[in-house]
Amino acid sequence: MKESESKMKINLLGNGAIAMGAIAAGVRFAAGYPGTPSTEILETLKSNEYAKNIHIEWSTNEKAAVEAAAGASYSGVRTLVTMKQVGLNVASDPVMCLSYIGVKGGMVIVVADDPGPISSQTEQDTRSFGSYAHLTVLDPSSPEEAYEMTQYAFELSEKLSRPVILRPTTKVCHASATVDVSEGVYDYTPSGFVKDPKWVIFPPLSYKRHIENFKMYNTPEDSVYNRTETAESDVGIVTGGVTTAIVTDILTDLGVKVNRLTIGRPYPFPTEQAKAFAEGLTKILVLEELDPFIEEQLQRCVNIKVCGKYSEHVPAAGELKYENLINIICNFLGINAPGTAPINPTVTLPTRAPVLCAGCPHRASFYAVKLASKRKKAVYCGDIGCYTLGNAKPLETTDTCLCMGGGITVAQGIKTANPDTDVFAFIGDSTFFASGMTGVANAVYNKHNITICILDNRTTAMTGGQPHPGTGATITGAETVHIDIASVLTALKVGFVRECNPFDLDSAVKTVTAAAEYDGVSAVVFKAPCIAVAKKPCSYEVFDCIGCKRCINELGCPAISLAEEKAVIDPVMCYGCGICETVCKPAKIRKIGGDV
Amino acid sequence: MNILICGVGGQGTILASKILAESAVIDGSDVARTGETIGMSQRGGSVVSHVRTEKTSSPYIPKGSADILIAFEKCEAARCLPFLKPGGKAVVSLSEIKPVAVSLGVMAYDSKAMESFIKTYAESIFIDTEKLAAPFMDGKCTNTLLLGAAFGKGFINITEDSVKKAMEKLIKPRFLDVNIKAFEAGIEAVKDRGNV
Repeated sequence: MKESESKMKINLLGNGAIAMGAIAAGVRFAAGYPGTPSTEILETLKSNEYAKNIHIEWSTNEKAAVEAAAGASYSGVRTLVTMKQVGLNVASDPVMCLSYIGVKGGMVIVVADDPGPISSQTEQDTRSFGSYAHLTVLDPSSPEEAYEMTQYAFELSEKLSRPVILRPTTKVCHASATVDVSEGVYDYTPSGFVKDPKWVIFPPLSYKRHIENFKMYNTPEDSVYNRTETAESDVGIVTGGVTTAIVTDILTDLGVKVNRLTIGRPYPFPTEQAKAFAEGLTKILVLEELDPFIEEQLQRCVNIKVCGKYSEHVPAAGELKYENLINIICNFLGINAPGTAPINPTVTLPTRAPVLCAGCPHRASFYAVKLASKRKKAVYCGDIGCYTLGNAKPLETTDTCLCMGGGITVAQGIKTANPDTDVFAFIGDSTFFASGMTGVANAVYNKHNITICILDNRTTAMTGGQPHPGTGATITGAETVHIDIASVLTALKVGFVRECNPFDLDSAVKTVTAAAEYDGVSAVVFKAPCIAVAKKPCSYEVFDCIGCKRCINELGCPAISLAEEKAVIDPVMCYGCGICETVCKPAKIRKIGGDV
Repeated sequence: MNILICGVGGQGTILASKILAESAVIDGSDVARTGETIGMSQRGGSVVSHVRTEKTSSPYIPKGSADILIAFEKCEAARCLPFLKPGGKAVVSLSEIKPVAVSLGVMAYDSKAMESFIKTYAESIFIDTEKLAAPFMDGKCTNTLLLGAAFGKGFINITEDSVKKAMEKLIKPRFLDVNIKAFEAGIEAVKDRGNV
């Protein structure tokens, strides 16, 4: 029962719209792990005045988030779990099992996919995961729709007694729109946990549920989010997600009308609706990002030509932008693309890849390890976070990067296969708690000989600075136990554990050298806060530069550039870390401002 | 209106885009849309914000259809120029942020060629943000100053009053005053200045 139905217009990011939708639907438990493009959902909840009665947490990882939410859902509480697509891989164990066990209070799992990919390791498609797991997937095309769909997802989850996946993509999550937000909040009294054998997953129960799921998802009800629009035309265009919105703009711009089928609930697929749509048409074009999911479903149920990724009408990977789509559509319709006269740059522009910030402690940590392993055979195994940027010139201290927590374990295999090489594994503090600890136990237990470098900047930096178990604060800012990383490593029986300040370069190099010489698992915890959570102490300036470029060639700090063959430090960008002062052999870089 | 804002991650383009969308709605737009770059690129990479104040389905401005480009950095202005429609306007900061690869000598940053490219294709005005924004929290209000410059030139059809209201809504009280002053300084800076 909604308390009130008055509406207000708010500009919301897609992620904010999902959070507001969850609030309106009466969510009481929200958990997640930060990951672009999903992070702002919980951050919106955290700061919303209507969210005071909601338990909100950054869980240690996505698996913990889903499991904790499952317990609350068993107790009749409406729950929300948020993650990025690769987070679903971590959470897949409980998610797969929940499709058999089911839930009581509505459970919405938001999995944000990232076509491009823009900030991710993979271009995996959660629609395909939903089909594999037998879980309904909703795919919003805009922030407005995300707001509506989130509320619908809670209702649907309770109706089916199964979690429902909401799968926005980056260009819905990080787009904003003016949304009509209702002020009412769905009110209910949770049942509490009621003991029942149905909450225990045993093979006979799984067998029964597998049959139920098969029936339920093969004979789905119609969904308002699967829409057919007919036109005087013998061809059709089928779309899903943000591509639906872009195609609407394109058809308006072209002044063309075609039959359209919009798939907002890709799984279970609306087979009967698709068959009816195809009747009387000569061919269909499917426009969707990531997997050819809709395309495959259509191939199965219609007998006309389906153009898409398999027919090479649509590129197999990457985002579908307006410029690509208009050409694909015009080609399909056999009309000329409108003659745009694009401006072609008459100058070659330097690319601008992301870099470690000026003052970032990771730069100093990488540099210390690089100096300590100079003239030795060394391999650097990286991990997921800002510090993946350590692979760029001139640091070049990231030789591998696989997945969250993977660096520590990949290092063990590399060392085994390359016994004459020093192998260093880098991992951030948040990633360490998310999925690094089991890898450390593996290294110790199986007697691997590696050096683990923990880059402890006291935050989850890449996603914008979220707290984690090593920070002493929860998502709401409330004080909590601070789990000390060095103590965890010691408890896991790592033989050599030292902490150091990466900006004290000499001492850091000595510590790393000793760690590398240690026979067995050694660990160095580099402790220095992210510049986003620390105050700028001072700035540095170059006096009478001799132009040796050592600072630039060694560190690659974005605040240092060359002007007339001399190094200059941008005073706004400089964060006063002082590592350049240490590196400047002619001693021309000096501190200015701050406590000189 | 289609407004494209571009710069380097960390420069504050997202706040500028939020202010524009909010002020458009205060001014009476039914729906404003923005599309942001949030994620890895925020670490010093190229970032772009799309702002659309009229009814469209998608938040992303197609190439060749932006009415105005607000660029926080010269090289990024040149990179995003293909988004401008013929006769589009550009407000460009003279600030140059050289990518690390340029400092390392791997790539070149041809400032003069960038400027002449921009001038050839857009009705453009260049703003010395380093100098003008310095009095406002050491340059941290470059975003609101550049917005001011765009308004000062009459490039954006939203009322100044709505922009200030949007700023009140979106900026923390202790930073509001300095941002409004930076916005006004932006307006002042382009007064009586012809386009280049």
